[in-house]
Amino acid sequence: MAADASGPWRGLRNTAILLLIWEVLGRLDLVAGGALPGISEILIRLWIDWGDYPRHIGATLYASSMGFLIGNALGIGAGVLFALSPTALRLFRGVNIAVFALPPIAIAPILVLTLSGMAPRIALAALGVYFVTMTATVIGLSQADSRATDVIRAYGGTRWEILRRVQFRGALPSILAGLRVAAPNAVLGAILAEFGGGGRWGLGAYLLGSLGRGEPDRLWGIGLVATLIAGLSYGLFAFLAARMVGSTRAVTLNTAVPDAAPRSGHPLGRIALTLGTIALPFLVWWAFIKATGVPDLISKTPWGVVEYLFLGPTAESAQPRLLAALAETLPITFLGMAAGLGFAFLLAISSRLFPRAIEAFMPVALVTQTMPLVALTPLLVLILGRGPSLTLWVTISVTFFPAFVTLAQGLALVPRSAEDVPRAYGAGRWTEMRMVTIPASLPYLFAATRLTVPRALLGVMIAEWLATGKGLGNLLNQSRGFLDYGMIWTVAAVSVLLSVLFYQAVVIVERRVLRRLGMATAE
Amino acid sequence: MAPDGISLSGVGKTFSGRGKVVEALRDITLSCPKGSFTAIIGPSGCGKSTVMRIALGLETPDTGAVRIAGKAPMGAAKAGETGVAFQDAALLPWRSVRRNVEVPLEVLGRPIAQARDHIQHMIELVGLKGFENALPGELSGGMRQRVAIARALVTHPQILFMDEPFGALDQILRRQMNLELQRIWTETGSTALLVTHGIDEAVFLADRVVVMHANPGRIVDVIDVGFDRPRAPGLFSDPAFHRVCDHVAEVLHGG
Repeated sequence: MAADASGPWRGLRNTAILLLIWEVLGRLDLVAGGALPGISEILIRLWIDWGDYPRHIGATLYASSMGFLIGNALGIGAGVLFALSPTALRLFRGVNIAVFALPPIAIAPILVLTLSGMAPRIALAALGVYFVTMTATVIGLSQADSRATDVIRAYGGTRWEILRRVQFRGALPSILAGLRVAAPNAVLGAILAEFGGGGRWGLGAYLLGSLGRGEPDRLWGIGLVATLIAGLSYGLFAFLAARMVGSTRAVTLNTAVPDAAPRSGHPLGRIALTLGTIALPFLVWWAFIKATGVPDLISKTPWGVVEYLFLGPTAESAQPRLLAALAETLPITFLGMAAGLGFAFLLAISSRLFPRAIEAFMPVALVTQTMPLVALTPLLVLILGRGPSLTLWVTISVTFFPAFVTLAQGLALVPRSAEDVPRAYGAGRWTEMRMVTIPASLPYLFAATRLTVPRALLGVMIAEWLATGKGLGNLLNQSRGFLDYGMIWTVAAVSVLLSVLFYQAVVIVERRVLRRLGMATAE
Repeated sequence: MAPDGISLSGVGKTFSGRGKVVEALRDITLSCPKGSFTAIIGPSGCGKSTVMRIALGLETPDTGAVRIAGKAPMGAAKAGETGVAFQDAALLPWRSVRRNVEVPLEVLGRPIAQARDHIQHMIELVGLKGFENALPGELSGGMRQRVAIARALVTHPQILFMDEPFGALDQILRRQMNLELQRIWTETGSTALLVTHGIDEAVFLADRVVVMHANPGRIVDVIDVGFDRPRAPGLFSDPAFHRVCDHVAEVLHGG
């Protein structure tokens, strides 16, 4: 009976087995001397604490949904603009990468310094959403089947006509996949801002308040609730996407070579565009500070950071501290990222080779991965302690999820006709995978790598801030305590710059490889 | 009956999707003796491509039995006895022309180094000499289709399946490819099954033309074509040739 039980039943059965194992481990205090309480203990504690929850949940939900709405409106609007105008895409490239690359943990203290009330939380949630949705929109719109757009163009269709009739419909699965990743991001952003910004209500504030009291069951309860919210938001969009992807899968493989990047005619124009691209993020930073009107002592302009780090009397003590922190943070970031990506790639491939095994594993992966990182870290601290292995695991878990989603989507889009040829010669699943699926998913592997660069840095910094007391994350936390505003801005700027540099490096490799293979970049 | 050729008996297939059930094929019985050339012709949606996909083992029939060279379809495919060219060239865009032609050999685990000359010969046969290292995106539609033909022939198949392989070619090239195909087919002695829209193409190439109708997909007539081989290009303007074509057209349009 159990052997031929269908999907949902097996999922339920596996979940029940896992919960049972958890309960036994927890009740017997087998993990790290009681750091993992039994599920029943957590639920009982949740019941006792229930009076506290509604206001905390309400605050987090409010900030994350406002951020989600604002971030998505901006993201989709910008995505359409960028799909229509390559020049705008190039000009805003610097801003986009910076928004994408800023580790929220580094920005949270800055937002709290410059904004007030719920605004820092909404802003951080929106920042977490914007890039994901914007990219998904541009990818979806630009990867529209060029044969289909040719049909519209052949009947004299305008750019808008193409956008409306072919690209939007074709982009829907991509946009929905974007929203699916963006939704837990909004929750994560809101909780991070609560965490770093004081304030009484919100799950982040609740977590922070409970952190010092050594009550694993309460921490787990808050973690579960945060995960549930993030997971439900993910599930909603996963459901919508699943209903739409089936009918928009390309039936044949498009073999058109992607258009060469459009170059503006005059070399001077190109130089101006490049300079604009680099200058724009700094301009936005400067304008943000001027607009908020916070005094110079607290908020640093780009020039203020340069002064602090290189020119002023502060330079002598600031530089060695920053370098020492970087030496601690960077190696573990690379290691965690490589492991997270590798794991995601293997799992995405296996999901085609062994669909049933993955189906059983999936709920577990989803639950652990939609768990907002800040809620996860204290729990991991309880289990893994405060050493480097904690940092590594946090980093792996934070890169794995988006990479897996991106890759799985890429693999799902491999066209039927491309698979028919090997299959017609009796190719097994593995041969089909090696010859068609893996090469076809290369653009998505690169996209996933780009996506995880800043997340890896974020994971490391959160672990450092909350637990290990090392590296950039710790430097940021300390500077908050010492009211060392210069260092807060410096760490934020340096971590963003680092992310941007990694990102650019990936982009260069990606362009070379894909151009040689005659494939389009998933941008 | 024809243990070495293609044999389908009583094949039926229904598709269900979006709440509708469509009977794609009903009681298809067809047997192609070894070394024969059979063409299937019919209106769009009559299930002729599905017949081929079933013979290839890409789809499984709901009813009936299929034997390819005396084996189950997938068995014949794995033994490397079949070759196939699809309607869509279905080239892998990241592989050069040569590397696309190598695909079947790779799948079957045959050594590629030894087949070098043969691969080059196949590419030249379809008139793509000089394009060995081009990517599919750099070729015209007709050239891509010819890569697909070279790919279908590279394994020396005993059974050759072709699903409208020349649909994307212009009339001049199509005639040329028809002659080439006849020559290649005569040389290899393979059993060929061609799915096509072109009446003249079917009559020129085939020993027998199988006419199908839609809703449900079924065989309505099998017309023997008895012209001597090799057939010369002059046949296209022969009145006898046109009489057979007219007869096929009549059956096709419900006569």
